[in-house]
Amino acid sequence: MKRTGFLYDERFLLHITGPEHPESPDRLRAVYKGIEEGGLLPKLISVEASRVQQDWIEVVHSIKLVMRFEEACLWGMDILDHPDNRICKDTFETAMLAAGGVVNTVELVMKGELDNAFCAVRPPGHHSEVNRVMGFCFFNNIAIAAKYLQRKWGVQKIAIVDIDVHHGNGTQSIFYEDPTVFFFSIHEHPSFSYPGTGREFETGSGPGSGFTMNTPVLPGHGDEAYKDIIRGKLVPALDVFKPDFILVSAGFDAHVDDEMADINLTTEGFTWVMEQIVAMAEKHAGGRIVSVLEGGYCIRRLPELARNHVKVLLGDEM
Amino acid sequence: MFIDKSMTREVVTIGTNAGLDEAKRKMDENNIRHLPVVEADNTLVGIITDRDIRSALPSVFSTCLNDPNEMKRIAELKVSDVMTKNPVTISPMHTLEDAILMMHRMNKGALPVVDQQGKLKGIISTRDLIRAFINVLGIEIPGTLVCIEVEDKIGQMKRIVDAITEEGIPFGSILVARHWDEGKRAVFPYLLTSNVARVKRKLQGMGYSLLDPMKWSLDQLPRAGEEQKPN
Repeated sequence: MKRTGFLYDERFLLHITGPEHPESPDRLRAVYKGIEEGGLLPKLISVEASRVQQDWIEVVHSIKLVMRFEEACLWGMDILDHPDNRICKDTFETAMLAAGGVVNTVELVMKGELDNAFCAVRPPGHHSEVNRVMGFCFFNNIAIAAKYLQRKWGVQKIAIVDIDVHHGNGTQSIFYEDPTVFFFSIHEHPSFSYPGTGREFETGSGPGSGFTMNTPVLPGHGDEAYKDIIRGKLVPALDVFKPDFILVSAGFDAHVDDEMADINLTTEGFTWVMEQIVAMAEKHAGGRIVSVLEGGYCIRRLPELARNHVKVLLGDEM
Repeated sequence: MFIDKSMTREVVTIGTNAGLDEAKRKMDENNIRHLPVVEADNTLVGIITDRDIRSALPSVFSTCLNDPNEMKRIAELKVSDVMTKNPVTISPMHTLEDAILMMHRMNKGALPVVDQQGKLKGIISTRDLIRAFINVLGIEIPGTLVCIEVEDKIGQMKRIVDAITEEGIPFGSILVARHWDEGKRAVFPYLLTSNVARVKRKLQGMGYSLLDPMKWSLDQLPRAGEEQKPN
């Protein structure tokens, strides 16, 4: 069995988005419940969240954005820039903790104390760009972790695999010209889903040309389409890129029962996808893989999805 | 909406006496397919397209490649020999709708823009129209497209717009597709939010059906060249 880390902190629930908002604290409660009731907690190594050093935020985001975000929370505003991005007085600190927690987690993997890990964090991050928050996201946790791995630990090649049903436009834009980070996203086709980017022709630019890969899936499709794309696109691309570390933007909103999109991935389909990604980490990255929660809004399905996700990391029997 | 606002002003042009090789080179260098042909005072006299040039030159399979006289004739071809004289033009004070309809009906990829004196002012091409279309669709702003099937009668748009506005969702655009099923229209609001699940439920609760995304289509018009049935 793997030494799998689990980042969870009740303070992640303090980012309150108000009634009717899909990105609710209940999502994280459901994720935790699934892992707890699956009897997995004793098998997992608990990782502490701590406030990220602001320098690491600023490696990705503009200082203007950071200040604007902090002030908006201090002033008691209820949205940041767009009605999608609901905030409360604690949102800024929660986002600092989430980013810090993810940084702590990848550090423990680099120190050899963990083989891999799942970070159950809120708020999510993959839509956030250098100077723009959007789509319920504030700090781009996974981008911050990738920059931290590069700069603090000298990791040469990082693959970010984004399986959220929405395109990870923020992560893509941050690494669009960077050939040391391979960004792969599988998501519902942008003509039918937020945010409207992630078309196949978006493949990186300048030195980063060819280091971004987008694989849109048409509405109503599910397991078979995902299998074709993972086998036909992701696996060959990773075989060429040979990452030293894999980060996963783990959104669970491609599930057939999730109302946020029209993709019909089943619970078993999610497990299969994660198994392939973990196998690629074993093959190329010495098993180093850290998965970070992004979206996923079906409270009824999140427990089983999170449980299976962690089981794959542990190498547990399903 | 005037052509004046959307046309390309810095037009690459060519003279009547230029050779076809020069015309071809200008097209390749600028990645364009239409060259307005002008006289020294910028009066438009024709237009030459990459297709005109290709049609004028022999195919690589042609036997005339072995015929020195024929090759000499071809090498001496000038733009004025091949260009379309008196091309269809448009004025700066025509509108984008004029241009779209003209290009659709006459099957043109670009129209030279000339003033009342016949002087070239610009060119409007499908590329300019595509740019305008991207802008009015609003699709460079993050959002989600929804498609609602409605009865073709007055008041439907108000109900839809009100319902969405009550949710505090900004609009990127709203399109209506015609020539849909008999008595129906398809309304496509492009909503500037990631959070559409709730508003979709609400619209369904109001009795609207949301169309299966795999069946969406904006293109219910006859294609260029196909006969247009009178309505």
